[in-house]
Amino acid sequence: MRWVTAKRLLFLIVLIAVTLAAMRSTIPERTRLTPLGSKFRDVIEPVQTGFTWVGRQVHHLISFPVSMIGATARSQALEEEVERLKSEIIQLNEYKMENQRLTGLLNYKQVMAQKFNLITASVISRSPGSWFGMVTLNRGANDGVQENMTVLTPEGLVGRVVSVTASTCQVLLITDPSSGVGSLVQDTRTPGIVEGVDGKTMVARMIHIPNNAPVEVGQAVVTSGSGSVYPKGIPVGEITAIRNEPSGLFLSAEIRPYASLSNLEEVLIVTYAQPEANTPRVGGQ
Amino acid sequence: MHLPFYLLLLVVIIIFQTTILNIVAIAGVTPDLVMLLVVLSGFLLGTREGAFLGFIGGIVEDLFSGCYIGINALSKMAAGYLAGAAGDRLYRENIPIATGVTFFTSLAGLIVNYLLLLYLKIHVSPLYAFLRVALPTAAYTAVLAPFIFRRIFRYIQLRGRDL
Repeated sequence: MRWVTAKRLLFLIVLIAVTLAAMRSTIPERTRLTPLGSKFRDVIEPVQTGFTWVGRQVHHLISFPVSMIGATARSQALEEEVERLKSEIIQLNEYKMENQRLTGLLNYKQVMAQKFNLITASVISRSPGSWFGMVTLNRGANDGVQENMTVLTPEGLVGRVVSVTASTCQVLLITDPSSGVGSLVQDTRTPGIVEGVDGKTMVARMIHIPNNAPVEVGQAVVTSGSGSVYPKGIPVGEITAIRNEPSGLFLSAEIRPYASLSNLEEVLIVTYAQPEANTPRVGGQ
Repeated sequence: MHLPFYLLLLVVIIIFQTTILNIVAIAGVTPDLVMLLVVLSGFLLGTREGAFLGFIGGIVEDLFSGCYIGINALSKMAAGYLAGAAGDRLYRENIPIATGVTFFTSLAGLIVNYLLLLYLKIHVSPLYAFLRVALPTAAYTAVLAPFIFRRIFRYIQLRGRDL
């Protein structure tokens, strides 16, 4: 082997080794942003906000003419639907009031308002690669955001904050392969862990469900709260398929998250959760 | 390709990719624009330049996301190198060939990415990774190759091969 070739090979080996070490040391769970990285992200934030805004306007501009196709027929159908729903709402309100009176069951939004301090945030960018599910929000340490705070929408759980700069924060979505959420099947209280499958297709799966557990397609999955940074009882998603795990001891279920993770625009960050039994402290270390 | 221009182009592409590009997502899959730039440049410039541009492109992308720094650098370096190797053996001035090379080298880069995920102990089902991430992303990326290949080709002809 010539000396030049050997030198190049050595350089390549060193480069790969250093890069692999850098990769390991920058896993989000183990690292904090460097001051330089933090400043860089803060500086780029207005640019990203601007691009996101332009993107949304373009999207609306393109989708409006498309949505006009068959608008008259749709409008008529919707009017009929509205009339039907109005009477349904009256009936449902009766049920709702009765339900509240008799069982003391609260609906989710009421629970949220009573238990959580929330701040709204806008998504300003998404992770560039195909494997990870992360979004950047326009709220940071200046707004009281801390690592491990829960992020949700009124529909359900979005993820948790993994890094914070002065004016932005990065959120690990529940569909990211490195995410894990302690969860329960709501009806049967069957425990399991909801983990991401990949960052882009917006599907998650619940693993380690006991083999004999009564789980069915269509059941709701909520956070369990136990041993987790997520508060208890937040809707996670709906079971869409059930499979046997290779070990044969457990089942796994495919979950369609309630929160529309592929087109998130505004989200809520839980900055404080009222302490209660089985509800862990959220936010901060 | 001049390095400062390449870096500026990368920053613009990455901002574009992290913000606007999501509106053209099909079933959650978006094209990888950095990969597209890397493999087409590598295809036209050769293995050394391809690997170098791939590493730089990937590391800038990693710095943007702020975590797993190096994962895109290595996968795009591999894709850039393979594209350069393909360019050394195939006819460079043909768009269908460039599109095919974009598809296969992007796929290779995404498979390297998957292997690095395993190294980081992030488990993604192999079937899922291949059929729902790597294959569609490579195909979507390759579809865009005919639109920018000529521009990169002319730019490289105009500025010479030096970095």
